[in-house]
Amino acid sequence: MSLKFFSLSLQLVVLFLFGPLLRAEEISIYFKTAPIAELLRPNGDAASLSLLITGADGRPVNEGTVAIRLDAPKAGGFLSTDVPVVEGTQLSEMRLPLRQGRVNWKYLFPIRGRYNLAVDFTGADGTKSSKSFQFTVRENRHKWIALGGFSLGLFLVGFIAGRIFTGARAKAAAFVLAVAFFVAATATGLKAQDTASEGSAARLDIEPAFVGKPSRIHWSLDGAGAKPVLALTLTITQLEENKVVFAVERIPVAGDFSMGFQFTDGSEHRVTALAEAQGRVPIKTEQVINVTAVEPPMRVMIPALSFFMVLIALGIVAGRWSKRR
Amino acid sequence: MEKTVASRLFIALPEQISFLIKSGIFLMVCGATLFIALASSYPAVHDTLHNVRHALAVVPCH
Repeated sequence: MSLKFFSLSLQLVVLFLFGPLLRAEEISIYFKTAPIAELLRPNGDAASLSLLITGADGRPVNEGTVAIRLDAPKAGGFLSTDVPVVEGTQLSEMRLPLRQGRVNWKYLFPIRGRYNLAVDFTGADGTKSSKSFQFTVRENRHKWIALGGFSLGLFLVGFIAGRIFTGARAKAAAFVLAVAFFVAATATGLKAQDTASEGSAARLDIEPAFVGKPSRIHWSLDGAGAKPVLALTLTITQLEENKVVFAVERIPVAGDFSMGFQFTDGSEHRVTALAEAQGRVPIKTEQVINVTAVEPPMRVMIPALSFFMVLIALGIVAGRWSKRR
Repeated sequence: MEKTVASRLFIALPEQISFLIKSGIFLMVCGATLFIALASSYPAVHDTLHNVRHALAVVPCH
């Protein structure tokens, strides 16, 4: 009898301790990108990202919120990406409400590498579930081709120099230097400059933006009292190339919305918020901000410059060898 | 001409040493040129070559 009682008590304790976890396992979180992850490229076009939350029955969960955090790829390897200040930093952090079990947003990935997307779901009944997704964004092929061409050019400069120096003809030195300058030279900063927001019914507060550090973007309805639920569309556009870097469409918000977002390009950006509701005039709020660029530290410059110098040196050695054989 | 000048100034050097000196000077000039073009933050140079830096995938910029 006492053994049965002990067994029953033990089962109750297990159920009490691990019950929420078991319930969380019933929740499934799916992540999808369009185009598919293999075709994503940095600084191309903004990708469509979506999360689907389903319950134990496989049907989309209707009510709940999803906390999303996107982290940039960590620094790794000898050569850095073209924006090393962004490496390993938090890119965006937001909490979006579910619509038919889904959340959708658009994002322009800034650099190549392995991204980490952490998702925390909280259901209307308090159910919680978390999942992390890792995906790799590959570099644009044309950048690798440009790097290959540039490297080959440096090698050839070294090769020609090696041949000339071996032949001891000083008058050709000027030609080699001219070639070096020609190969090296071919081929767009910033303080907050806010424009007045359109429409007086809403406001947009954006922290000063620096590359490498997320800024808080806060949209809110003006006035006190009950705030109606509106469909908010938030778009961030990089103005220099007129590219949408982030967008979230018609998310239901009750008076305010806040998110952390890192501007990864040190140039002008426009943040536009459009709040709509049936029977109401849409409220548009817009702000242009200048993002402060941050110079990468010298230590991340050294590997790339060393790589180029080694290519020239190898060219010189090859040029001398070709002349003497 | 180089040989003539060198012999008149009595600074004629063995070919290997001459090659090393010339190569060294050449590498320093190339290094300085690459540093100014790809790594310096001087606005006139940076703004002109900003797209080139990004196009090379491995050159750090902002």
